[in-house]
Amino acid sequence: MLLELKEVTIPTLDQKCVIINEVSFGIKEGSIHAIIGPNGSGKSTLAYAIMGLGNYKVLHGKILFDGFDITNLSITERAKLGITLAWQEPARIDGLSVYRYITLGLKDTTKMREKVVEALNIVNLEPEKYINRKIDESLSGGERKRVELAAAIAMEPRLIILDEPDSGLDFIVLEDFMNIFEKIKRLNMTILLITHREDIGMVADYGTLLWRGDHIITDVFPKVMLRYCAKAGLKEFCKRTLFKDGAICFDDEYIDRIFREEGVS
Amino acid sequence: MKNIDYPTEILQSLEDYKIDFREFLPGHGKGAKLLLNFNKISGIEQVDGIILKGREIPNGIIADVLIKKGTKVEEPVHLCFGINKETGIQEIFPRIIAEDNTNVKIQAHCSFPNADGLTHKMFGHFYIGKNCEVTYSETHYHGENSGALVAPVSYIYVGENSVFENNFNLTKGTPGKVKILIDIYALDNSVVRSNVKAYGKNSKDSIRIRDSVFLEGENARSVIKLKAAAKDGGEVLMYGITEGNAPHCNGHVECSEIVLGRGSICRARPFIRATDPTSSVSHEASLGRFPQKWLDELMAKGLSEEEATNILIEAMLQEEEKF
Ligand SMILES: Nc1ncnc2c1ncn2[C@@H]1O[C@H](COP(=O)(O)OP(=O)(O)OP(=O)(O)O)[C@@H](O)[C@H]1O
Ligand SMILES: [Mg+2]
Repeated sequence: MLLELKEVTIPTLDQKCVIINEVSFGIKEGSIHAIIGPNGSGKSTLAYAIMGLGNYKVLHGKILFDGFDITNLSITERAKLGITLAWQEPARIDGLSVYRYITLGLKDTTKMREKVVEALNIVNLEPEKYINRKIDESLSGGERKRVELAAAIAMEPRLIILDEPDSGLDFIVLEDFMNIFEKIKRLNMTILLITHREDIGMVADYGTLLWRGDHIITDVFPKVMLRYCAKAGLKEFCKRTLFKDGAICFDDEYIDRIFREEGVS
Repeated sequence: MKNIDYPTEILQSLEDYKIDFREFLPGHGKGAKLLLNFNKISGIEQVDGIILKGREIPNGIIADVLIKKGTKVEEPVHLCFGINKETGIQEIFPRIIAEDNTNVKIQAHCSFPNADGLTHKMFGHFYIGKNCEVTYSETHYHGENSGALVAPVSYIYVGENSVFENNFNLTKGTPGKVKILIDIYALDNSVVRSNVKAYGKNSKDSIRIRDSVFLEGENARSVIKLKAAAKDGGEVLMYGITEGNAPHCNGHVECSEIVLGRGSICRARPFIRATDPTSSVSHEASLGRFPQKWLDELMAKGLSEEEATNILIEAMLQEEEKF
């Protein structure tokens, strides 16, 4: 396992309630691992805690990276070990160019330009057009997210956490994004993907379902998705759309069983 | 004049401001130029329509820049007031006159790379005629030792229907003790934009800047943007003043300040006053620290908190002005 969570509990900043409740699961090296769950189930919280953000402190439990306990390391130390996060809504920093921004995370400073160009190519932004642009309001939401992804890729991290990389993007670019994930995977990076979209999630090898801060299941992605539908009581949706036309099909009997287990008929 | 001996050490700091220093060398870059090495004029180069004259006085020079009526030039006029000694006094009295219907950019650089207790004073007058477009940009570098004692005062008159842009930039090196006064008088239908940036980096730095625009003509408009950053005991106090004294004039003052580290003081504050009831003058200010999320984002790229902060200050001070 590249990343392992062991009974991780994360409270709110004031420690009055628990956002993540004794969650344990692992992420295999080289995989795309999706975290799904309804709004407020704790997906972003978990991502931030793995990155080590100050407002999301682990109260109990451990986070292991490559077997090494990182629970008490700073963001910077985790980034240096090879973990990075691409934010759902990355900041706009007017005075920084795309070039400068992407070079900030480079491990060594040789052939910087080549590396930036390569990263922009991976996220399908024409390097000549974007390299001198500013990270400001003039970039569209989708372009800003791609730059964020390029910056994360250029770091050559071992684990890249993507918090809803698909939000605010239309269907036309969906396929394009799936290609990007595949490209990242080929660079031997492990992806932790947070998403609301089952179609995006379909690129994932594995998945984890969170439900109000509890860990429900970690398994191959279709099974996780099926469980999500069962908990949400979406049987028809599930049978009709998700797994009939999707890549992997479950027979109706199997679907019925999972739904029965969740107490939904 | 060709190939003069001007210490490149003085011009080197232009690179920090992303300006090609060769543009300043006579015989190299295009455009009119005047170079001062301590109290000696070491080079003057003229172009059509622009007259540059310098007269040496005991501690410095009187410099005249005259842009003749109707002159429109792309290439900036380069002025460099430099000292590569550690101490001494340099006093400059520039008179810059842009006659009617002129378009010109002036790029001035005040550079004292080895300063350790030297004094630079300036007493400047700018007269800008009607229908002109004039940009005056001044970059400063006071070395890395203890900076300099720098006290420039400028009076700037902007004529009817003219656009004047002032850019003052003191963000590289150690500034030292700096006191700057800029008074800009804007006549009918003129437009004034003034951008001032300064960065105090340690307890030797004490920077005071007062940038004032007096909207004296009907329909005159102005925007002042002040950006101040102070860290590790530096002190930066900036005041952006705008007075609306004429019918339908419109002024705005925008201030941002960032203060970091123990003992630092940083204030960028607007002061506005409207004496004409039809004028409108407004201000906005943003203070304090960078949002934690910005720091987190940079730290997730492997930067330490301090490195991330420095990048953000650099970005804030470089941010291009949009109007
Ligand atoms: N600082 C905080 N104080 C109190 N509650 C918080 C705090 N931060 C997060 N929460 C709560 O924790 C829960 C989990 O939030 P989180 O953002 O992790 O959810 P999410 O699964 O990412 O949701 P979404 O799908 O909407 O992005 C939410 O109910 C949220 O309101
Ligand atoms: Mg979220």
